[in-house]
Parts: sequence; structure tokens; C-alpha cells
Amino acid sequence: MIELRQLTKRYGEAAVVDGLTFDVRPGVVTGFLGPNGAGKSSTMRMILGLDRPTSGSATIGGRRYAGLPVPLREVGALLDAHAVHPRRTAFDHLLSLAYANGIGRRRVEEVLGLVGLADVAGRRPGGFSLGMKQRLGIAVALLGDPPVVLLDEPVNGLDPEGIRWIRTLTRSLAAEGRTVLVSSHLMSEMALTADHLVVIGRGRLIADIGLEAFVHSAAPQAVLVRTPDAPRLASLLWDAGAAVRPGAGDGLTVTGMSSAEVGGLAGAHGIVLHELTPWRASLEEAYLELTGDSVEFTASPAGVAS
Amino acid sequence: MTAYGVLRAEWVKFRSIRAMLGCLAGAVAAAGAYGYLFGMTAARDYLAAPAADRAAFDPTETAFRALVLAGVLVSAAGALTVTSEYAAGTMPVSVTAVPRRGLLLAGKGAVVALATFLIGPPLALLSFALSQAALAARGVPSAGFGDPGVPGALLGAGLFMGLVGLYGLALGFLLRRSAGAVSLGTFLLILPGMAGLFPEAVARWIVTWWPSAAGARLFAVHAGTEGLAPLAGAGVLTATVLGLLCAAAAVFHRRDA
Repeated sequence: MIELRQLTKRYGEAAVVDGLTFDVRPGVVTGFLGPNGAGKSSTMRMILGLDRPTSGSATIGGRRYAGLPVPLREVGALLDAHAVHPRRTAFDHLLSLAYANGIGRRRVEEVLGLVGLADVAGRRPGGFSLGMKQRLGIAVALLGDPPVVLLDEPVNGLDPEGIRWIRTLTRSLAAEGRTVLVSSHLMSEMALTADHLVVIGRGRLIADIGLEAFVHSAAPQAVLVRTPDAPRLASLLWDAGAAVRPGAGDGLTVTGMSSAEVGGLAGAHGIVLHELTPWRASLEEAYLELTGDSVEFTASPAGVAS
Repeated sequence: MTAYGVLRAEWVKFRSIRAMLGCLAGAVAAAGAYGYLFGMTAARDYLAAPAADRAAFDPTETAFRALVLAGVLVSAAGALTVTSEYAAGTMPVSVTAVPRRGLLLAGKGAVVALATFLIGPPLALLSFALSQAALAARGVPSAGFGDPGVPGALLGAGLFMGLVGLYGLALGFLLRRSAGAVSLGTFLLILPGMAGLFPEAVARWIVTWWPSAAGARLFAVHAGTEGLAPLAGAGVLTATVLGLLCAAAAVFHRRDA
């Protein structure tokens, strides 16, 4: 369990992280979302004791990271896949970190196998692809078999196969009961991985919410219905208390009624339906709606720039 | 996270940086080549000197002059143990593995000090052997390994190199960039060699008190009349290096990793 309480980091006047309070619970994947520059990495760096908070605290199991006796056995982190010495072999990179935490060679070999790098253990990461470096970074995170795992933008720049690997891995880490915090600026990715979302913008907490609840809260459900007899169905729906807007072509967008109810009403009056689709705002739309005010840089429409 | 574990970890890092090997090999080459060249120069001066001056000739005076130049490469090796981490971006990873930063710095320092201390006597031996060979080849009086003061100077060279390695390490923590730490480290080390450019009073102060000049007394074979006593010289260099290490520890502790 990771606990943040009023965590704040300022550089002069500018607050990069501004009074963040939330918990990251074990057994689920918590997606840490926000636009670029929202303060996700800074928050993770403060959890890991790399950056000093201006005020507030971040603790892991009730203790500050710097106070952990054997940190890699308690917390594993991937911050930057490129952070490897280009000439130090993958094995030595892991071995040096392992030794510092009283972890032996056997575990180094084990994690190399776990991430699929056993064959290149003796090679220098200078020639590794991004995907391989990402795997090496994951190996570092898993070295101490830690109950808490932090991954900062782990799928950035990966190919589909690498993305799927990370997705499966994070799911299985959570299924093993670990606390998993994964940051991303891509809602679509979090929709496939996370159970719980913490959304921040400009360093502030925007939402701390389950994935399902997030989607429902952000946009009303609607039903798309197409029928050759649109005017009649529309008036029937109005009478039944639903809101109806004309959709594309002969379609109607119905809110305030489930698809089953719309279908039932149409059936009861012998109206032929060509399409009946429950619809909800995409996660992407819900996310953009939430964070719209907090993106750092926004492109203005062409020709409108003042 | 024990001191022993951190030491092993830092040793793995130290031995896996190729540039480190380059620096230490360079130090060997510098000690040998400059040792020989200084010997040749001394021989030429001896042969050109009048008989009265020849009587005062001390063959050991040039024997270890090459060590300050070799020290430039040793300090570079010390700096690289730190700056290579900043350059590769691995410092945050190292700090997450060892969040007690003082312990991390101490581990790096211990590995650097040990490695550079051990390379000191072989460098001194090489410089001594080649400089005396250059003297002997021209029939100029030369010294042997067993002569009084020589074994002590060899040990002193080890201490000198250990301190110079730590000096480079401290500069690495303070400046974080390889180019900055190595060039500033080099400039400060060889400054006494440029003492002649300064007014005489300043020059005299530099060759006596400047830490690298004072520290070089560690491998002086004879106490002589000029300069500090070997132990006093060692004290000046040690105090300087300790001061830099304290500054490095303070900065490293306070700064975001």
C-alpha cells in the first residue's frame, strides 16, 4: 500500500505536484493518468525518495522509502528504460543492484529468464532495442520480488507485442496480490490494464475512482436506434420519459432509457428496428473531458491564434 | 543493504566501465614514459653541469616526478565512477537501490580509494625504474630500490594515488559531468607545474602549499630543505580531499537524484 498525503513539490513558485492525497491499494492495477507534464513522474520520484517533497509525505507500508532496510525487496520501480550504462552488460547491471540489496546471482539469472533476456545477459545494452531495454528495466523492478511495483510509462514506444507483454505482466502482478502503480498518458492503454484510476492534471488530483465508475461518471449512457419509423418511435420515447435527439440518417440517440427498454417499447408497438446499440462515451472522451482544463500546452485552431 | 553489499555492488560497476581501464592503463603509460623522459633530462643536465653542482646531484629527485602526471589519469578514473552514472542516467537507479546516499558515496569512495591506492606503488616502481635506467644508460649516478627512503616513497605513492582518486570522485559528485570534472581536476592537479608563470612569492606559496604539490612530498625520497615534510604535505592533501568529500556528500544528500 502506497499512501500520499498532501504531497507537494515546488520549483520556486511553480508547483509540479500540488497537494496530492491518495492511496494505492494492493491486488489491483492502479492506473496513474494525466497529460504530459501533469506531475506523474515527479510523484513517482518522490515516492522513491529521489526527489525531496516541498511538503507532505509519501509512504510505503507506513514507511518512507529512504527508511526501508532493503528497498528492492519492498519496492520495484521502472522509471526510465534508457537508464542503463551502454557498456555494462545486462547481467552486471542487475548484479550490481542485486548485491547492494543482498540478493544473489541466482535471482539475477531468474529475472533475466522471467523477462526473456536470458540469451543476451552477457551483452551490452548499448545495442538493445527499446523493447529490450524496457524488459531490462522490468527485470530491475522485479529483482527483489517486491510487493509494491511502480512502472512509469512502461509501454511508451513499445511495439504491439511488447505492449501486450507489459499488459499481461502488470495484470498478473496485481493478481498475485501486489500493489501496482502504472503511469500513462494514454487512457486507451489504462482501460485495458487498470482496475482503478488516479487522474491528475497540473499536479492536482482530478479523480481517484474505479475504472467503471470513471466511465459512468464522465458521460451519460445513451442508446443508438435506427428505424424506418423514426418520428413515431421518437414520440413514443418522449412519452415514456426518455430524451431523444436525431442521430445520423434515420437514427435516434436516446438517453435516460436502457437499450432493453427501448427495444421493448418498439416491440410493443410493432415498430421495426434496424439497429439498437447501447453507447457510451469512449474512455478517451471521458478522460479528455476531465483533463481538458489541465493540459499544459494546447494547440489553438489554425487561423484563430491571436 | 549492508556496507559489504554496497561495496560489492560498486566493485561490479567499477570493473564494468571500459573507460576506467583506459584511464588506469594511461596512468601506467604516463608513469613509464614521463619517468623515462624526466630521467633523460636529468642526465643531460648532469652532464652539462660543472663539477661542483654534480656533487649535489640527487638521482631520486626526478624518479617520481611523473607521478603527478599519472595522477591526472587516476583522478579522471575517480571522477568517472560518478560522472558515468550521471551520463548514463543510472544515478536514480543506484539511489533507489541504496537510498542512504552517504552509504552509496562511501561505497564508491572505498572502491576508488582501494583500486587507486593499489595502483600507486606499481606506478611509482615503473617511474623509478625507467628514470634510473635513463640515468644509468648515460653513466650518470642512479639510485636502487633498496636505497634509504625509496621503499617509503613507494608506499607514499600509493597513498598519494588513493587520495587523488578520491579527489576525482569528489569532483565528480560536485560537477556531475565528465568533461567538467576531468578538466577542472587536471588543471588543479598540474597547477604547481605552472608556478613559474606567477610572481615569485605566489609561486613559492604554490609549490609549497598547493595540495597536489604538498601531497607530492609523500613520495619524496629525501626530506630536503625545501617544501613541507612528507607527513605535513600528506596532511595538506588529505585535508583538502576530506573537505571536497564533505562538500560532495552534502551536495549529493541535498540534491534531487
